[in-house]
Amino acid sequence: MKRSRIIELLARKMAGEATQRELEELTELINSFPDAVYYDEVLQQIWLNSDEGPDSCPDIDRIYQCHKLKFYDELVTPEQENPVPVLSQYKKLSGALLALCILFFIGIFYLGHKDNEVFNTQIIAGKGVRKNVKLPDGTVVWLNADSKLSYNTAINHKDVRVVHLTGEAFFDVAHRQSHPFIVRTDKISIKVLGTAFNVKAYPVDEKSVATLLRGSIELSVNKNSSQKIILNPLEKFVLDDDKQGVMKMDEQDMSLMIEHIVPVRIGNYEYIEEVSWKNNTLVFHNETFEDLKPRMERWFNIRVHLNSEKAKSYRFTGVFKNENIKEALTAMQLIKPFTFNLKAHDVIIY
Amino acid sequence: MPKPSPDLTSLICDIALYDSENAYEKLFKSLFPALYRFCNCLLKSRELAEEVANDVMITLWKNRKKLPEVQNIKVYAFVIARNLCLNSLNKHARKELIFLEDIEVQIVLDTLNPEQILINDELKKKLEQATESLPNRCKLVFKLIKEDGLSYKQTADILNISTKTVDAHLVTAVKKLTAVLKVEFNLM
Repeated sequence: MKRSRIIELLARKMAGEATQRELEELTELINSFPDAVYYDEVLQQIWLNSDEGPDSCPDIDRIYQCHKLKFYDELVTPEQENPVPVLSQYKKLSGALLALCILFFIGIFYLGHKDNEVFNTQIIAGKGVRKNVKLPDGTVVWLNADSKLSYNTAINHKDVRVVHLTGEAFFDVAHRQSHPFIVRTDKISIKVLGTAFNVKAYPVDEKSVATLLRGSIELSVNKNSSQKIILNPLEKFVLDDDKQGVMKMDEQDMSLMIEHIVPVRIGNYEYIEEVSWKNNTLVFHNETFEDLKPRMERWFNIRVHLNSEKAKSYRFTGVFKNENIKEALTAMQLIKPFTFNLKAHDVIIY
Repeated sequence: MPKPSPDLTSLICDIALYDSENAYEKLFKSLFPALYRFCNCLLKSRELAEEVANDVMITLWKNRKKLPEVQNIKVYAFVIARNLCLNSLNKHARKELIFLEDIEVQIVLDTLNPEQILINDELKKKLEQATESLPNRCKLVFKLIKEDGLSYKQTADILNISTKTVDAHLVTAVKKLTAVLKVEFNLM
């Protein structure tokens, strides 16, 4: 009987509902039944800690922010319900206009940069170095000297496989149905599904050349991307950017050329001049020294100074495989008379 | 334990007379946690509870002109919460009406303070098990009084019962708890 009375009083005490008289009665009861102190203590502990339950939400500020957003319409203070002064209406309008403008520019910015994708990997072959790499999608790339290839390592997971090339590279593209492979250079873009082709687009050269060995490629000039050119095997496309001033995009004006590749026969072997570099062979056929100069510079990592007008027009045909620059020049001396001076990375020809 | 809450009446005045959003924010912050807890225990879903608690608050804002007539804003909010929770439950159950008595309520006895040696995990579990068998309304009374520090009168208003019944429910709940303690500590 006493016990249940104690509990009753304890419950009221916890709830803060016990009257003064009841509290006194409780103290009296606990004094005569010291065991009851335990009930009091344990209950008090249970009571005290109720606030820190897992259900309590400490992030009240965030919740209020969400709440404000969710019921924005209801919460806007009645200023807006009253007729709005004309000035503030204009303010609102101009604010909206400003927001629109910003959105517009952001849009332009995004669209303009959409093409550039995000390249997170860059492979660089320095002068005198040739590299052979395999991209994550299985495409094999030979990178010629002084060239740079950028791509995204997630190339495999994209709808369109895009790489950017500066310089010269030979691509053996792994075939992927409905995942076209696109090579962009500063001047031309090439879209393929699965082929082997060579792209030469050195910024210093006026010509951009794409040579197709097998399969087919769709090619477009960046300046006029709506015009597509389909290349057949063993054809080569040359964009001669010589005439800078030309604005009209006729085929003639842009000096586009499509030619057949004719294997060059030198000695007992046949070479395809455009792609032989990937087999570590520098092939040149009836080329002037002046045209040969940048190729040799890249190949041997040297700087060539052609000081003789006569030497510039000399034409050479030949193959270099493992020769160093000195051996190469000595061999060329056998064909045409010239003298050279080799100093570290500089060759002076006179 | 009830937190020292800002003077709700003056907040209500600010909201009703001046549409003060600032006052509303304070009201929100003082009422929301308790409402959320209450809804969560009825709905058993954090997301739903948050939604309903949000709705309760915005209802207060929408009716702000009438708020000064309300005697006890806390009770008023809890009653709205109770109704919205029941609506939500009935809507989801579709078949039959759900009454407050039908809702399973869970009592969690949290003792997070490591200094409290008296209540260890095992005892806590036993106490929770003991309260398990209580009628749902009894649990709800216990929860409201214990966790939200509501008075008998407020609890009675929210649950639509008399204060005597509230007292009886609370005593029943406490009895269950002490029964466990009696066995545990071999008391009288």
